[in-house]
Amino acid sequence: MRRFWNHVMAIAGRDLRIEGRSGEVLSVVLPFAAVAVFVVPLATDPLTTDLSALAFPVYWLVSLLFGMQVALRQTGTESTMQRRQLALAGVDPLARFLGRVVAAATLIFSVTLFTLPLVILFYDPQPLPPLLPTTGTVLLFATGLSVLSTLAGDVTVGLRTRSALAPLIVAPLAVPLIIGASRSLESLSRGGGSLAWTGLLVMVDLALAMAAVFAARPMEEATI
Amino acid sequence: MRRLILPILAGVVAVIGLALAMATPPDAFQGDFARIFHVHVPASWIAFLAFFVTALGSVAWMLTRRAFWDRLAAASAEVGVLFTAAALLTGSLWGKPVWGRFWDWGDARLASTALMFFVYLGYLALRRATIDPVARARRASIIGMVAVIQVPLVYFSVNLWRSLHQTQTIRPDGASMGPEMLGAFLVNLLAFNLVYLALLTSRIRLGRAQEEAAASSVPAGSAITAPRLDPI
Repeated sequence: MRRFWNHVMAIAGRDLRIEGRSGEVLSVVLPFAAVAVFVVPLATDPLTTDLSALAFPVYWLVSLLFGMQVALRQTGTESTMQRRQLALAGVDPLARFLGRVVAAATLIFSVTLFTLPLVILFYDPQPLPPLLPTTGTVLLFATGLSVLSTLAGDVTVGLRTRSALAPLIVAPLAVPLIIGASRSLESLSRGGGSLAWTGLLVMVDLALAMAAVFAARPMEEATI
Repeated sequence: MRRLILPILAGVVAVIGLALAMATPPDAFQGDFARIFHVHVPASWIAFLAFFVTALGSVAWMLTRRAFWDRLAAASAEVGVLFTAAALLTGSLWGKPVWGRFWDWGDARLASTALMFFVYLGYLALRRATIDPVARARRASIIGMVAVIQVPLVYFSVNLWRSLHQTQTIRPDGASMGPEMLGAFLVNLLAFNLVYLALLTSRIRLGRAQEEAAASSVPAGSAITAPRLDPI
């Protein structure tokens, strides 16, 4: 069991080191997400549009789209040879999958946390939700999205239509995550409790984790 | 001839069902607009059933690796997408005179059904993108199992969220409609189930024929043989 978790952390560390060297998320996805947050107010009439009402919907939309970009990034895609080598080295497919999920979740969490102050700056939503529960909500959202995106990324690996197909699979399935996260933040902003919506996020994360546990090994078989 | 029995039976029951739907008295509040319910609800029911069968076929393929289960999953997903589109279309047509618009974002059932439609379009796109039949079955079975999460979400969306859509009409404690309407509705439900079965079996047969044709087809260029370089 200890060996399994060592493998998980080694795979996650490898993915994060690759990101550290290539900087795909830091130098491409993050600036692109910032531009997306910035462009929406330019596409509206500031005199008639209530930007503060748009703040959190835009935030979750940007988090979903750019979260998917992070999980499906080019530098995070393993080649068939890499997969075969890991399989021959005795790395459990589930450990490989979980390692990639941990790395993707860390990166998605960073992107979504980075976008939040930008949304607050440009859209001025009032009242603001408390920081700590908001961070928890974002973390649960990032975890679920990373499981789903890694799953879709693995299922579509090697296909010519992957860049459009994987988001087509992820986006509709991520809706329970979007609903849970957005309603939780909305409730927190109004000073209410968010237990029910946080519960939904936890449930969805658990369901996705179970699906991943069940699918990891057949998926390895499908894509090697 | 035996193959035609199910489609003919489905067609006959569908005609009887639609005739009964037109013969029932108009609804006390919605008038004749309520008649679309006889098509809309069975179409939604078949969509749920079809996606559940897709998940079942995916799990069975994963356990047995028999090609039949993959064909069943694929055929059911295709038929399910067709019926989901029919449910969305009839729902929108009903919404215009009753709600005043074709689409209402306040209705959780409508939005979640549209999402379910997109999920299974993605499933079919994944199948189409993978050429190798075994790789296609492996990849599709994973999505087939995960995507079924949407089905209970759509079904219970009217109970979970604030929604314009009415809650379940037929419940364990009885139905919230008159016996004439209920009778016509049950006939239509039977007709849609038969149509589903007829389409499903035809699509499975077609899938098998396509696979056999692909396996027996000669690759392009195979008629041309390489020149013999043996010394004459």
